[in-house]
Amino acid sequence: MIVTNTETIAGYRIVEVKGLVQGNTVRAKHAGRDIVAGLKNLVGGELKGYTELLTESRRQAMERMLAQAQQLGANAVVNVRYTTSAVTAGAAELYAYGTAVVVQPGP
Amino acid sequence: MLELILSAIFTLVLLALGYFAGGYHERQHIASLEAREAALRHMVVTQLRSYPGWVPGDAPPRLIVAEAVIGSDFLKTFLASLRYLIGGEVRSFRSLLDRARREATLRVLEEAHAAGYNAICNLRLDSADIGGNAATSGQKGTVMAAILASATAYQAARPTY
Repeated sequence: MIVTNTETIAGYRIVEVKGLVQGNTVRAKHAGRDIVAGLKNLVGGELKGYTELLTESRRQAMERMLAQAQQLGANAVVNVRYTTSAVTAGAAELYAYGTAVVVQPGP
Repeated sequence: MLELILSAIFTLVLLALGYFAGGYHERQHIASLEAREAALRHMVVTQLRSYPGWVPGDAPPRLIVAEAVIGSDFLKTFLASLRYLIGGEVRSFRSLLDRARREATLRVLEEAHAAGYNAICNLRLDSADIGGNAATSGQKGTVMAAILASATAYQAARPTY
């Protein structure tokens, strides 16, 4: 599966458009992370717990999106975009969406 | 009265902690960013949707995503709260967001480089809202800059001008 955030794929030709595919996940930060982040907020530096949370969420949303693409019989997803939205103070949604297509090598 | 003095001392200690530890973390981070950026200067980085300089390579283009969450320190947050009173540019948060963006971009570049690509295009930088407390949302709580960077990695010939 070729995945890009551009509309075209260099070296490939889009032969069929399968439609929009999407995946989302809502994940909560656990209290321990919040406490560590609160302490880290005094001395500065990277909040690794939150970075990991984003990475995990992004991977999960991506997996769900790719599963949809697979089901549609696509072999590539183009123009992938990510958005986040905070549901409440404790949880955040990460949403990935793109267009599933069938591509062939060629100009 | 004693309570007031104690809380003033406590605040001063936290400010000093922010000044020394926060300043140390920031200088370390900026030095690390500069060294890593210098090492990857040969990569072609654009936010164009086309593939400038594309050449056929071993692997097809690939989406690469990375994120970075950089926290504020007590001094920065304190300075910003003073700034809210008189208005104007909040310089302490500007560097925070700048560092988060550079860090996220570098992580994308490093992953692309490790996977054998030498160029990225369509670089997108978004601020990620995690729990409504991001520095960009202007709310109280944990003050942080959360950035999500995405780009498509591909193989390019050295651009000639």
